[in-house]
Amino acid sequence: MTVIKTLLAATSLAALMLAQPASADTINMWVRTGIGDSFKEVVKAYNAGHDDKVQLTEVPYTELVQKYATAIAGGQAPDALSMDLIYTPAFAAAGQLEDLTDWAKSLPYFNSLSPSHVRLGTYQDRLYGLPLSVETSVFAWNKNLYRKAGLDPEKAPATWEEITANAQKIRALGDDTYGFYFSGGGCGGCMIFTFTPLVWGAGADILSADGKTATLDTPEMRKAVDIYRTMIKKDLVPAIAASDNGANFLSFTNGRIGQQSLGAFAIGTLVTQHPEIDFGVTLIPGVNGKPSSFAGGDNLVVTKGTPRIEEVKTFIQYIYSMDGQKIMAKYGSLPTRGDIADEVLKGLDPRMAVGLKAISVAKTPYTLQFNDLINSNNGPWAAFITAALFGDDVDGAFKTAQEDMQSIIDSGQ
Amino acid sequence: MTSVVSSSPLPATRARGHSRRRRRASTGWRGLAYIAPAMLLVLVFFVLPVLLTVWMSLHNWPLMGAQKWIGLKNYTRLLSDARFLQALNFTAFYTLVVTIAIFAVAFPLALFVEKQRRFVGFYRTVIFLPVVVGLATASLLWAWLANVDSGFFSPLLRLLGLVDRSPNLLARFDTAFLTIIVMVVWKIAGFTMILLLTGLQAIPAELDEAARIDGARRFQRFRHLTLPLMRRTIALALIVSITGSILAFDQFYIMTSGGPQNRMISVVYYIFNQSFVSFNLGYGAALSIVLLAILVVISIAQLKLLKIGEERP
Repeated sequence: MTVIKTLLAATSLAALMLAQPASADTINMWVRTGIGDSFKEVVKAYNAGHDDKVQLTEVPYTELVQKYATAIAGGQAPDALSMDLIYTPAFAAAGQLEDLTDWAKSLPYFNSLSPSHVRLGTYQDRLYGLPLSVETSVFAWNKNLYRKAGLDPEKAPATWEEITANAQKIRALGDDTYGFYFSGGGCGGCMIFTFTPLVWGAGADILSADGKTATLDTPEMRKAVDIYRTMIKKDLVPAIAASDNGANFLSFTNGRIGQQSLGAFAIGTLVTQHPEIDFGVTLIPGVNGKPSSFAGGDNLVVTKGTPRIEEVKTFIQYIYSMDGQKIMAKYGSLPTRGDIADEVLKGLDPRMAVGLKAISVAKTPYTLQFNDLINSNNGPWAAFITAALFGDDVDGAFKTAQEDMQSIIDSGQ
Repeated sequence: MTSVVSSSPLPATRARGHSRRRRRASTGWRGLAYIAPAMLLVLVFFVLPVLLTVWMSLHNWPLMGAQKWIGLKNYTRLLSDARFLQALNFTAFYTLVVTIAIFAVAFPLALFVEKQRRFVGFYRTVIFLPVVVGLATASLLWAWLANVDSGFFSPLLRLLGLVDRSPNLLARFDTAFLTIIVMVVWKIAGFTMILLLTGLQAIPAELDEAARIDGARRFQRFRHLTLPLMRRTIALALIVSITGSILAFDQFYIMTSGGPQNRMISVVYYIFNQSFVSFNLGYGAALSIVLLAILVVISIAQLKLLKIGEERP
């Protein structure tokens, strides 16, 4: 008898809880790791000032796509997530995202939202993703180490010859001090972000404009590979680079790396969490000196059918408010709203402006097979990096990667 | 009289035969009832998933979106898939090396802990301890041990003066492969040792004694007495070890992310990549079915080679 009573009580309590108005809801959101703290901070600020809360789950960036896809298939998907903008078309095409077109177009500042994000968020004239964070790749150097090595700390290196020469001088400072760093051990995502600007600046690319032909083997890429190989051979790069699958991407923050190509997110992390590191930022030079950059970042997408879409919309509007934008920018995400960008950056670290400037020379590769070709730890691009930079057979590395990329592109059509 | 005598046993035999048949039928049903729970488990957790996998393998089945019937196309694609063949090759190589390594370590250990000696319980426990660590946990632990900067092995080599500067063990195929083999042996050998130990302990002491009295030397006793009597145990340990090695995944995924230049992609890793990186669940299913077939063939071959199941004790 008592058992039944308790059961009844429990069910009525559960019913009561369900029946309560959705005054304080919790939005479940995912964010990938490795994009700095800007989103985490904006969530913190939002939670502090609103009844609705955003519950954030960090997912390793190499696994976000497959985790999200499996979560959708298993009915466990979060309400919304911060997704690498490159993947928006694929998920929209699969019909898994909420159509935000009408609501987004009613926002007064819709036309000033980052155009490349909106372009990648659009599928068949409907909008499925809204710009959340913008980031570009830039080149950073450690001014302290420059000083110690007798270099001019205020002079940004403009060519790779200069960078190599500086790296040698910094390496000469001691056992644990290195001239240059990159995550080369199978981190395709890191290397497309920091290494391809070398060839983009010189006018070459790894895929044809329509994304249907692999064009890896160019004189420009050979030259870029040669620059990195030389630095490795001269022992200017820590040995961990060869097996770093992205976990040590922010090695620059340890203060013993002289130079490294980073993202704007990292500038935010450095400024807010490592004030002890005195560093300069410039554009990444191409192999013949002309700079380039990778424009990336995240779109905010909403899982189709979520019951909390209104709450998500309120949260998005907060992100686009002046407060939201300022917090995002402080932690390294460039403003997504063009109309207030200058005001947002006002009073912030001037180095952030370099990240903004990079947008004008930046590229974003467009391919539906980005995961397979580039980002996968076992894709041809990641394999090419390890083989060409650390292996003994450069020609073989070019040949294999070129063939593998082409065969993946062909099998996907 | 004769008619009575001759007629009387007949109905009796018929009746007896009848009841025996009835009894056999009823024990048959009872037997089925006894194994029904196990059969149900096998049905729900093995047979049905395999059938579903077969069904999926006949489709172009993306992780998201609509699936399409494509017949045997996944299987024909697999025949010319160079990366799959490479994964098979690597898995075969790994299985061979790691199985030999495990037995080379586990057999002496089993002989060592079989004898009653001081602290034998302690030795058995210590050797068996790594087995209770999860493979993923062990992989993470060893990934840290092998880290070039903050790890243990590389700085140790440098401290001992064996190398000038810390080598990055996980960056080259040979050293990374060696690290993984050592890790797996450390992790698995204790389990194989326990299996072999039970086989050793099942050999009656009198046999050994008799052989000794006949003047058989230590190696002769091992070769002609211990080994033949342990055939069943060795077969079990071998099948467990080989099956486990063919299904290896965690260590490559966690420790080397597929190894320098994708040279450490095992078959299961490749299936995982096809299914959850490239989202081709259908193709991944076809690969899984082929792997299942290979495992069945290998297990049957092992049983045949070791002549298990032919004679009844």
